[in-house]
Amino acid sequence: MKHKEKLVTLKNVWKIYQMGEVKVPALKGVSVDIHKGEFVAIIGASGSGKSTMMNLVGCLDLPTKGDIFLKNQNITKLHESKLSVLRGKTIGFVFQQYNLIQTMTALENVLLPLELQEMNDEKAKKQAIKVLKLVGLEDKMYNRPTQLSGGQQQRVAIARSLANDPEIILADEVTGALDSVTGKEIMKMLTKLWKEENKTIIMITHDLNLANYAQTIIELKDGEIIKIKNNNKQTTVRT
Amino acid sequence: MKLRKSLKFAINMVLHSKLRSWLTILGIVIGVASVIAIISLGEGMKQSLNSQLGGLGGDLVTVSPGFSSSSKFTHGRGPGGGGGSSSVATEEEVVLDRGDLQALKGISDIELMDTQVRGSVDVSYLGKKGSVTLTGVDQKYWAQITISEIDEGRMLGPADQNVIVIGGKLAEGYFDQPIGINKMVTIEDMAFRVVGILDDSSTSIIMPIMMAYQVIDDKETGIYDSIIIKIKDEENLDLVVEKIENKLKMIRHVTEKTKDFSVSSNKQTQEMIAEFMSSMTMFLTAIAGVSLLVGAVGIANTMFTSVLEKTKEIGIMKAIGAKNKDIMTIFLFNAGLIGLVGGVIGVIFGIILSSLMPIMMSGMGRLGSETVVSINSIILSLSVSIIIGMIAGVIPAYQGSKLKPVDALRYE
Repeated sequence: MKHKEKLVTLKNVWKIYQMGEVKVPALKGVSVDIHKGEFVAIIGASGSGKSTMMNLVGCLDLPTKGDIFLKNQNITKLHESKLSVLRGKTIGFVFQQYNLIQTMTALENVLLPLELQEMNDEKAKKQAIKVLKLVGLEDKMYNRPTQLSGGQQQRVAIARSLANDPEIILADEVTGALDSVTGKEIMKMLTKLWKEENKTIIMITHDLNLANYAQTIIELKDGEIIKIKNNNKQTTVRT
Repeated sequence: MKLRKSLKFAINMVLHSKLRSWLTILGIVIGVASVIAIISLGEGMKQSLNSQLGGLGGDLVTVSPGFSSSSKFTHGRGPGGGGGSSSVATEEEVVLDRGDLQALKGISDIELMDTQVRGSVDVSYLGKKGSVTLTGVDQKYWAQITISEIDEGRMLGPADQNVIVIGGKLAEGYFDQPIGINKMVTIEDMAFRVVGILDDSSTSIIMPIMMAYQVIDDKETGIYDSIIIKIKDEENLDLVVEKIENKLKMIRHVTEKTKDFSVSSNKQTQEMIAEFMSSMTMFLTAIAGVSLLVGAVGIANTMFTSVLEKTKEIGIMKAIGAKNKDIMTIFLFNAGLIGLVGGVIGVIFGIILSSLMPIMMSGMGRLGSETVVSINSIILSLSVSIIIGMIAGVIPAYQGSKLKPVDALRYE
């Protein structure tokens, strides 16, 4: 591997959910390093703990036990507001359900993470338009999510995830709500971001075909990593 | 997130809010409108009372025989409270006369004195008859001492005899025909010429006191119903009132216990009424305030629901970098905006209500005839509604801000 800088490190991470009386471990002592510039797919059947892992990697949740380092900072020790800022600057999220704010236009949705980081208006608008162009939606930027197709909404979501120029794009079943053609387009876009924009992509999926786009595949089962494999048959994407 | 952006976000939320938010706003509207209306009614009553009593005239002192009701207030004693035979004997015969007037002339703080008698008289004009109150005044001083203002014609002058000044309502609406300047009016079979019409809505008649003795049945010359005193320096009012009381007690041979006259100043009366009015207004405002409080509970309720409804959005925002503080600010602004919008609409309705009130209350005489919407009451109720909104929003906003992003995102 040419990139050696560790971006995300999980050290013996446990996540235990309390379901009424019963404690359900979702992750059981997971340790893994994700390096800068990697394209990682986390796969596993439902209930394998991949969503939990994605939440932890994305700093959306804290582990019950163990440590998570994001850019060498132990997030389990960070104050909430610092964590928010770190998350906002370092990670761009793309969700299965797009998760756009319905009352805002595409542009406003993309501007939101920039506004949260208190970037000045002019610069923010420039940046938002730039990333909207990157996903090919500059002509739809004044449309609201309801006026866009699923694929277009997902592209807005990708633009939003890119707005703060984060190092990591965290993609959670991003093609799950899309038809296969549109899904492929989105996957192409992610691959392009990885190759051309040098982003680190962490993708959660249950679809092995999609996982093949990635460089590294981490397979989870019952809360444990059962396999980390370097994907040699990586799908080549012609852009 | 910058405050400006949070506010923009909150405005967006209110603009896209549903009927529920508008119902909440309605709650605030009702509260604010009633507060504005009640304060304006109180303010109007105060002003109309003040204008009736005269905003001026703070340098006037009235001496009247017996204990008038106003002296009851100022001295805290009932009539006949002194007891004893002399007091009982004088109660029917208590009068003010020239002796009192002479004694008062010795007080150097007094600038002018007007002696007055009052009585009910029959009056006729162009064949129509009526009964009105007549006041006989010392025409040499009345014009300088009175707080009434002339609308048409002139005041009474020192040389006047068979002339009268009449109240505005007597001139305009009492008889079928309006009474104009220089018209002759018959009072108790004597003819008088109208020389002035007062700028008020009374039906009273003012005439020289010497003529009044002739037309009022049971008034003896040299006996006064009241002496109106204008003092030189308003600052010394309390002191002069005391001097007048002492002088009269001496000349009338009465003590504090057997006192058979009362001295009251316009200022005291005004202050007393103003005090009464403001406590009345405060009481009514407090009642209206209860509806504001109910409105606040409505805001709290709506905000709780809104936080629930926006849970997913809170999750999204947190995922893309919103801090707890940002979420808190947005929801607080949202609640404050509901308060503000409710407040603004409430003020508008309040002003409309205030202007309708005199019409609705027209049966209640002069007191309801005027409402004054003061800038202060607008500012007050607006800021109260914003603050109430924000206070009501604190707990829901805090709850929203504390949501864990992972839980919030999972919420459907």
